[in-house]
Formats: sequence, C-alpha cells, structure tokens
Amino acid sequence: MSQAVARIGPRRRIAIDLPAALNLVGKLGKYLGLAAVFPIPFAVGYGESVVPFVVAGVVTSGIGLALERLTARSEGRVGVREGFLVVSLTWVLGAGFAAIPYLIAGGGQLSSPLDAYFEGMSGFTTTGASVVTDVADLDRSLAIWRQFTQWLGGMAIVVVAIAVLPRLRVGGRQLLEAELPGAEIAALGERIRATARKLWLLYVGLTLAEVLVLSLLWILGVDDLMTPYHALAYAFSTMSTGGFSTQPRSAAAVSAEGQWVLVLFMAIAGANFALMYRALARRRPRVLGRDEEFRLYLAVVLVASAALVAMVSGFGIAEGEGAVRSGAFQAVSIVTTTGLASADFALWPPLLLLSLFALMFVGAAAGSTGGSIKVVRHLLLAKILRREIAQTMSPEVVQPIRLNGSPVDERTVRAIAAFVLLYVGIWAGGAAIIAIDSAISGVGLGTLDALAASATTLGNIGPAFGIAGPMGSYANLGDVSKLTMIGLMWVGRLEIIPVVVLLTRHYWRL
Amino acid sequence: MIVSAPRPEVPYALVRVFLIGAGQVGSTIVEALHEDHDITVLDTEASRLQALTGHFDVAVHEGDGTSRKDLADAGIGTADLVIACTSRDEVNLVAGMFARREAGGATTVIRTSSSEYVDLWREGQLDVDFVVSSELETAYAISRILGVPAARQTDVFADGQVQVGEFDVDENASDEVVGVPLRDAHLPENSKVAAIIRDEVTILPGGDDEIRHGDRIVVIGSPHAAKSWSALLWPGGGTVQDVVIYGAGRVGSAIARALLSQGISVRMVEASREQARRAAEALPKARVFQATGFDPDFLERERIGQAQAGIFAMRDDAKNQYAASIARVRGIPFTIALAHEAVSVSAFDKAGIDVAINPRAVTAEEIVRFAHDPRTQQVAMIEGNRYEVLDVTTRESSRYIGMAFRDMPVHGSIIGAIVRNGGAIFPHGDDVLEAGDRVIIFTEAANAPWVVEAL
Repeated sequence: MSQAVARIGPRRRIAIDLPAALNLVGKLGKYLGLAAVFPIPFAVGYGESVVPFVVAGVVTSGIGLALERLTARSEGRVGVREGFLVVSLTWVLGAGFAAIPYLIAGGGQLSSPLDAYFEGMSGFTTTGASVVTDVADLDRSLAIWRQFTQWLGGMAIVVVAIAVLPRLRVGGRQLLEAELPGAEIAALGERIRATARKLWLLYVGLTLAEVLVLSLLWILGVDDLMTPYHALAYAFSTMSTGGFSTQPRSAAAVSAEGQWVLVLFMAIAGANFALMYRALARRRPRVLGRDEEFRLYLAVVLVASAALVAMVSGFGIAEGEGAVRSGAFQAVSIVTTTGLASADFALWPPLLLLSLFALMFVGAAAGSTGGSIKVVRHLLLAKILRREIAQTMSPEVVQPIRLNGSPVDERTVRAIAAFVLLYVGIWAGGAAIIAIDSAISGVGLGTLDALAASATTLGNIGPAFGIAGPMGSYANLGDVSKLTMIGLMWVGRLEIIPVVVLLTRHYWRL
Repeated sequence: MIVSAPRPEVPYALVRVFLIGAGQVGSTIVEALHEDHDITVLDTEASRLQALTGHFDVAVHEGDGTSRKDLADAGIGTADLVIACTSRDEVNLVAGMFARREAGGATTVIRTSSSEYVDLWREGQLDVDFVVSSELETAYAISRILGVPAARQTDVFADGQVQVGEFDVDENASDEVVGVPLRDAHLPENSKVAAIIRDEVTILPGGDDEIRHGDRIVVIGSPHAAKSWSALLWPGGGTVQDVVIYGAGRVGSAIARALLSQGISVRMVEASREQARRAAEALPKARVFQATGFDPDFLERERIGQAQAGIFAMRDDAKNQYAASIARVRGIPFTIALAHEAVSVSAFDKAGIDVAINPRAVTAEEIVRFAHDPRTQQVAMIEGNRYEVLDVTTRESSRYIGMAFRDMPVHGSIIGAIVRNGGAIFPHGDDVLEAGDRVIIFTEAANAPWVVEAL
C-alpha cells in the first residue's frame, strides 16, 4: 500500500505548461526584435536617430532571450492548451515592441506610455486607429516604422489564422483546418514555422507588386505623391489591411489612379491567403471560383460598392468617376477592415454613416489579414438561420449545414453562432464604456461615434466617425476609452475566444 | 398456341460452379443452376448445407470461406466459376482473393453490400471478375419499376435500349388492348407481347390470342413502348416525380441516389438519428426526416400521403408491411416494399403492396447470369424462376440464320427484340435473323439451355 502512495504523489493542480508556453513566446520575441533593423536604413538615410529602433530591438529580443533562457529546462511541448496563451501574449509583446520607438522618438504626440501602446497595438493588430494628430510632424523613419508594424502584424495574423486558430477551434475556425496543403503538423511551433514558410513569399510578393505598381505611377508622372517611400508605406498599409497613413489626410491626397490601385490591393489582402496560395503557387486558379466564401466576399464587395456609389452620387458628394471611386474605395476599405479613406466620410450624411457602420461588421475572408466577423461566418450563420426556419415548420427534417459541398459538423455550427453572439456582446459592452467615458469627460464623441469606435477597433478597421473619423484622431479620448479600445483591438485580432479562454479558472487550474 | 414445349436433352456446356455461402442468395443460385451445372457449396453452417442437399443434387462442404485450406479441400481448384455470396463482405473478398490463387482460370464473382467496393472494382482496384451489390441491384430494380409504374417487374437489356416488363392486366386496363385479338389491337409500336400468363398457364401468343382482364403479360419493347404500355394498362397514371422512402440505411440511400439521378424528388424517413444524419450528408438533394414515420401528426404535417409512390426499405419486413399499409391509408397510391425474407413476398402481395422486392433474389439473379453460356450477356427471371429472358448472340451455325421471323417454329420461347450494329430492332414477320445478332428472347427457364444451344 505504501508503495502505491509513493507512486501516486502529490496533487498537481497547474493545468497549463507555462514554461513551455513562455519558451515559445520568448522564441518568437527573440526573432521579432530583429525586425527593428528595418527602419534603421531610413533613419540613417534621413539623418534621424537610430536609437529608438536599436532600443526596441534590443529590449524585445532581450526579453525574448530571457524568457527562453529562463524556461530552457522545460521539456513540455506547446499543445492546444498552451496555444491560447501563446497567441494572446504574442500580441501583447508585439504591441509593446511596436510602441518602444514611439515612446523614445514620438515627441509630444506619443510621449504618454498609454498613447504609445495604443498606437503600437493599433499597428500590430493591423487596426489603423491612431492617436497621432499630425502625422507630418513624425520623423520619416518613425512614420515608416508605424507602417511597418502593421505589415509585421499582418504577416503574423495570416500565419496564426491559418495555422493556429483552426487548431484551437476558435469560433468555428476548425472548418478551415488544414486548408493549406502540408500544414498538418501536430506541435504548434512546428505548424507555425511550416505555414509561415509557405505564406511569407506570397505576402512579400504581393507587397512588392503593389510597391512596384505604385512606384510606376510616380515614375510615369501620374502620381507625384507616390515616391518609393510612400509607395512602400501604402503597400504596408493595404496588404496588412492596417490603415495607417504617412499622409495627414489618409489616402485623399493619392491620385485617382493610385486610389484604384489601392482598392485592388485592399481587395486582394481581404481574400484568404491559403486559398490564394493554392490558386497562385499551385497554379490552380479555379479553386477561387469554387470557394463559397470567396464568391460571397466578391459579391459583398461589389454590392457594397454599388450601394455606396449610388448614395455618394445621390447626395451629390461626388460626381462621375469621382463618385464611383469614392464609393468603391470606402466600401472596399471598410469591408476588408483596412480603414484607409479617400474622402473624409465623417462628414457624410447619416444614411451613409449607417451604411459604413453596418459594413464594419462584415469583415473580409477568413485567413486574410482582415478582421471583424468574416464573410464565412456570415455565410454559415445565414445557413443556420435558414435551417432554423425550416425546422420550425418541419421539426423532423435533417438538414446538414454545408460549406463548399461538405457538411459542417454541429459543434462547429454552434461555435460560429456563439462567436457571432460573443462578438456582438463585446462590441456593445465596449461601446457602452466608450460612450459613458466620453460623456463624462466631455470629449464630444457622439453616440453613433462611440458605437462605431467600438466596432472599428474590435473589427481592426481603424477610423470611426466624428472626431475619430478617418482624418481625425483618437488623441482626445479619455484614458478609460483608450484602454478599452486597446483591449478591443487585442481581443478582436485574436478572434475573441483565445483571450476569453484565459479568463476561465479551469484554463489554469484543474 | 403452345402452352409448353417438350424439353430436348441439350444442356449447357457444363460449368463447375464453386459457391461460398449457402444463405438465401446462395440457395437461390443453386436452385437456378443445379439442373445444368456441377455445383459445390461451402458454408460454415452444417444445417444450411443439409437443407440444400435435401432439395438439390449438389456437393457440400462444411468450411470457412476465409480459410485457404478449407477452400482447397473443398475442391475450389477445379472450378470454372467461383461465386462468393455470403452476407459478409470481408468473407467474400478474402474468398475471392484465394480463388484467384487456387483456381487461376476461374471466373470470380463476389457479392458486396458496399457500393465502395463496386466503385473500387470499376476502377480496377479489386482483382475479381464481377462485383454484385445487393443494394445497387435493388436500387436499379426499383428505379426501373418507377420508370414504368404499371409493371410488376422490369428489366433492361442492351444498355437500356430494350425493356422487358411484366404487367398485371386489371379492370383499369384500356379496351384498346383488352379483349381484342392481338393482330387487331392497337399495340404500342416497337413492342411485342412475349407471354400471357393466365391461371398458371403460359401462352406464347399468336395473332389470334387476346389479352383478358386478370391476365399477367410479359412485354418486350423499347423503353418508350414500355411507358406506353404502362399508360394503357394504368390509364391516368402519371410519371413518378415525388417519392417517399422509409429507411435511410444502405439500401434506402442507394435507392434514393438512383431515383435522384433520374430527377425524381425524394423524401426519406428514418428513425435513427445517426443514420438520418449520414443520409442527409451524403444526399444533398434528398429531404431527410428523422422520424418513425408512424406519427399521424408528422404524416399530416409533411403531407406524406401526397407522394406518388412509397418505398419501404427498412430492415424489418413487418415494419415495411405496416408502414406500407399506413401509407396506403394516408393516400400513397403505389407502394414498393423490400421483403428480406422470401416468405414475405407473397405476404406483401396479399397485403396489397404493389411490388415486393427480395434484395437477395435480385442479387442471385444478377449472379446467375455469369453461369450461363459466354454468349449469353444477360438474364432476367420472371415469376420467380419460371421464366427467363435471355440476351444471346447468334452463331453462324444456327439453323435459324436467314430465316424470316414469321417462319420460325414456336418451341416454348419467343424472340422479342434483336440488337444489330448496336441498335435495337423490334422484328416483324418479314425480318430475317442474321449471324451475330443479339437476340432478346423470352423462354421458360427449363428450356433456356436448349434455346441457347439452338441459336
């Protein structure tokens, strides 16, 4: 008997392999820090200080190395349980990394740690909501850093969305599991590496293509603004569906031709990267047309554009090609959750504002850099509702929900319905906090503006209405609002569930 | 008019048949083949083998179809035709595999209940000569019947160009064909009345004979003619477009798939949640209900009674019969039920079910055709095993070559159609038989070997 007691040992209550999780976060941080090298040539070239970036790189890689060293003795493997913590912490760390240069070199605009972290989180979650009031006042190297953080965050989310979230069964994501051929590796770390290896070329290639096309406009004298520097800045912003700009008036100063190029690349960035990989790298373009989500995504973009065009010209805001461009640009920008603007839509009449507000809940395709609810969830939710109605009349009817012809299992169906409810709930909660805080501090953010501010940050879009419109800034909002929005951006980027899971007791303890 | 012809002593070329499985399918095959062939039966159950030897002259061995030793001991090595027809797919597959080793030259036929194996075989992935699936054969039989709703039974020949149908002539039948000598009647074009069965007597009709109410007739003709016959014998009956299937198991799903592919809309009723889900996932076009199908509320709400035909494909014969009766009460005009037990067939008939299908009999029929002469491409059995319709290719040496049909003697059989150069011809008296013609011929089963020999 005593031997059995010895074998059984004490109770082990910790449910999560914390060292293993931190080890992976450390490893990611170590490499993330290297990204600070990117803006250094710009700083040197424009005769600006390289210190902010060196510090950011050293601090981030240092924290990463330290985490890795401290947990080096852990033998555990990062599984699904640890995955929730890893992705959540990665974005906390990434936002901090992005914020360090602002803190050092941001001047008056970003000197407060909260503002710097807001801007960092906004960039790394590819939201594009800004507390900067005058972009022109930033150093050129700092401005390109701000664009670059979005691009980094975009790369990170594509990999996480395709390799990690399906494995974590986040919000019905499992239905897109193993979309990418050959990415079915059990250990999360391995999975991330294998997927990143496949997709980085596509992501970099598309970005370079956009830089080239925009630069060509400059070379041909079509667009005087699009110097290679700005071409790179806008490419970073569109491919990541971020929305930061190096210009004070978002994309309004870009030429008509340049804006159409941006529309095209925003639309590409909103498509599923795993699908595009199959279509392009594997030369099977027909997979695009066969994908239900892709078809619906295109339809949504076209219908939303047409509706906005009709309203823009109906209200006499613009005419002819200008109206078409204005409608299409804003529609594509909001649907893909980019958040660039070719016109100050904060000044548009309420009907247009409401339309844009509604579009904030659409989101791009799953597996893109875009945020919000995502087209595939809307598609499945519609099918779920259709089935509910059919079953009201005929309770006995058995009607599987299908996606691309294959039945979707009931657990996934429930997860999707739950995700959408949770999304709406968190949006409403966030909006309430922002509205109350704004009313108390009297910053002049209207009710619709507060509702939009919550939706735009949770959906990783960027601009809201009123003072927080595309040409405005979140600088004047209260600290509570800013903190709330940092949380919304973080939660929204990770599709809510991973963060919510961390709040449950049984995640940590048995 | 010849009621029955004497049976000349010309048997088939002797085929040594090795049969694995003495269940319903096995014994039906034995019944059809025992007179002309040398049959050895292997089964694990002595009682089944005893039942066989009591009725037929066959050699039996008690043994396991999955044991190579048992197969060899029972003499599989000398077989010309190996048929593995137990109710278990695995046994049939293994037996088929060993047959290849032990009896290299033999034709192997295996029975399966999985359409997956049929697909594999079609892709050339299974090393057997033929795969016969009870589910698929049953499904095809039902879809043929629904194509010609007035028929008790139909079979197709020559890739569907020729259809054989057995019809009941009841009070509804049109006066255009009933009570009129055949030569004066308005018969559908491209068709021939091959037999009239009246009070257990078979008439191979000439121009003077007439069809009467209460007869059962066998018609050979084009698919279009078969539909016309259906309309003549069941006036006002439309084409079937809306069917309810009870039971969404393997047979039910196979039936549904066959009907859906013909553009017939299908509703399925299945009590098991799991099976209903599987059917709904596999058959996107079918409307599947998870219900017992006996609940009056459900039947009323879903207007089950408005279906044009009900197919009862549940496992349990008693349930099929009960469900079919309820369906009748609800107003479904035409019912087809699966009779898994041979005795249920006549019981269903008495209970007013329009068509009773025994999947094992259908399977046996499909398998039996491999035992016939190599020139015989296909066989259909009518009225149990009493009559056969054969598809035979004529030889140069046949004495009927060059003979006009009007001059042919009638010996208990009648030619319904010929297939020449890939096209079907429904011959008139002046047409002449040529060497190489495929002949679709109706005959009493007992005469079949002689008919094949003569052509």
